[in-house]
Amino acid sequence: MFEGVNASEGIGIGKAVLAVEPDLSFEPYKVEDSAAEKARYQQALDVFCEKTAQQAERMKVTVGENEAEIMSGHIMLAQDPGMTDAINAAIDGGTCAEQALVETSTMFENMFLSMDDEMFQQRASDIADIRTGILAELLGKQVVDLSVLPAGSIIVVHDLTPSMTATIDKENVAGIVTEVGGRTSHSAIIARALEIPAVLSVPNACGALHNGITVIVDGTNGHVISDPDDDMLADYEQRASAFAEEKHALEAYRGKPTVTADGDKKTLACNIGNPDDAKTAVDHDCEAIGLFRSEFLFMDAKELPSEDEQFEAYRKVAVTLKGAPVIIRTLDVGGDKEIPYMNLQKEENPFMGYRAVRYCLDNPDEYKVQLRALLRASAFGDIKIMVPLVTCVEELRQVKELVEQCKAELHEEGYKFNEDIEVGIMMETAAAANIADILAKEAAFFSIGTNDLTGYTMASDRGNDKVAYLYSWYYPAVLRAIKNIIVSGVKEGIMVGMCGEAAADPLLTPLLISWGMEEFSVSAPSVLKTRKAISQWTKADADALEAKVMQLSTAEEVKAALEEAAR
Amino acid sequence: MVSEKVTLVNPQGLHMRPAGMFASAMGKFSCDVTVVTPDKEVNGKSPMALMAAGIPCGTEVEVRCDGADEAEALAAAVELIKSGLGE
Repeated sequence: MFEGVNASEGIGIGKAVLAVEPDLSFEPYKVEDSAAEKARYQQALDVFCEKTAQQAERMKVTVGENEAEIMSGHIMLAQDPGMTDAINAAIDGGTCAEQALVETSTMFENMFLSMDDEMFQQRASDIADIRTGILAELLGKQVVDLSVLPAGSIIVVHDLTPSMTATIDKENVAGIVTEVGGRTSHSAIIARALEIPAVLSVPNACGALHNGITVIVDGTNGHVISDPDDDMLADYEQRASAFAEEKHALEAYRGKPTVTADGDKKTLACNIGNPDDAKTAVDHDCEAIGLFRSEFLFMDAKELPSEDEQFEAYRKVAVTLKGAPVIIRTLDVGGDKEIPYMNLQKEENPFMGYRAVRYCLDNPDEYKVQLRALLRASAFGDIKIMVPLVTCVEELRQVKELVEQCKAELHEEGYKFNEDIEVGIMMETAAAANIADILAKEAAFFSIGTNDLTGYTMASDRGNDKVAYLYSWYYPAVLRAIKNIIVSGVKEGIMVGMCGEAAADPLLTPLLISWGMEEFSVSAPSVLKTRKAISQWTKADADALEAKVMQLSTAEEVKAALEEAAR
Repeated sequence: MVSEKVTLVNPQGLHMRPAGMFASAMGKFSCDVTVVTPDKEVNGKSPMALMAAGIPCGTEVEVRCDGADEAEALAAAVELIKSGLGE
């Protein structure tokens, strides 16, 4: 058995298909007829561009516009006259097309690599990708092609690149195993989007798993089993059908209210990233939107989206939710979210730097465009404004002051909006958790962002393998922060919700119920699972478990106690 | 041949998007377009060459156009660079 990162849940059983890069070595030779050789290069280039364009089209549907745009960018680079001229000149000098391509592209690649800028480093890897593609055409080799696979294939690959994922035939892929990548890698995101079980970062997977052998991919636990015996196979077949059954059983919770075992009503909301997701969220039976990450509007654009564009996006979500609450987080730029046209400086320590509300308050004219759009959209539904990364009450006051200015302007201009629009806080810093009692007096609601709250409280970057073990909300430090936020909010009578990944962790559900949390905001596929978890607990049972768990000293003890009590 | 000097105002210099925009605009003209910096000359119709030149913000570049439609090409080039190439 091999262990790896459990990147996409579910169990896949099938035959290994090794996706190995083709051998693109060649013997350089002297060219006599340079015109014919140039024509040969041009033909390979044309075929490459045509295939890439087709991939980009497919990708728009299967993966998304942004990924597709990367592929379209490859065409522009491949057809670059600077590169073509240099290649043709080399061929005129007697170099064969393969060698001319390798020399010229390597020259450009090295130029980009030598530049101290991430954007240029990315261009270097684009050029390497293009070189592989055109070279394969010239040599008549097949690049990794995942578009025609036999049913029940387990893809085994070093890394899943964007150009590979473009072609994946989802119906025939039972599982994915890679040698690199973590839960937030490109491969992981794609696997989850396609609902294919995946285990990543399995060392030497390509060497250990042979073409055609039977492989079990347990994406829930991060296990890969090659050539299982009959007992093992039967065991996993049963688990796979149990997984499917559980998915099916959850359907019983569709259309039902979200209530605890003793009838206390909760709200089950969804986290979304764009207006189209709102439809998906409603289809998954959510009751509200607990987090609409507005930055995707900004990241997908080429320049700051105008007030009207933003208004339209917010209005669309409000209308889709038919009057149910929609919490929209204002621009959370910086940290790991880069928006090229904003030209933010690279920082030594971006997570402690110029981001989110700090950027917005420093650029009030840009921020007011968003606040005005939110206010205008509030005429069409129950929109609430959520401010990210608040660390002190001054920030909340400044935002509320700007909201008042926008209201006055909109009055003047004759727009309709919700006069009493709520302005709340995304509770995600240790500072905010510590002063939750102060903030609760001036905020209309709290929503706990457990992803950043865990990271900031434990001073641990979960993307850093060396310290990721510290990134866990089972540590008493994180649980106390969460408790303080909820209890402080409840005391002031404001709504407290949670929009981080912890909201969908059934182990935490009894604690959150005990503290009095009202709204659970989760990703669309977790809605029914979370509704079920909430239905398993009475307040009294949750309180008893809470009293026991909050006495414990270590994350391990906490997790063990929660697991033992799990329902 | 005609030429004119103009200062690059793009905050991050000539990266992918502005280089692509400039090169594709120049591609519509038949004349040769060369961008001359203090230390190199690059093909103005090649986004890759423009990017690889790594021209930072604030650099004064000379745009040279040579061919039948050189006047129109130069006017368009200068206008584009001054306008910040869509940024």
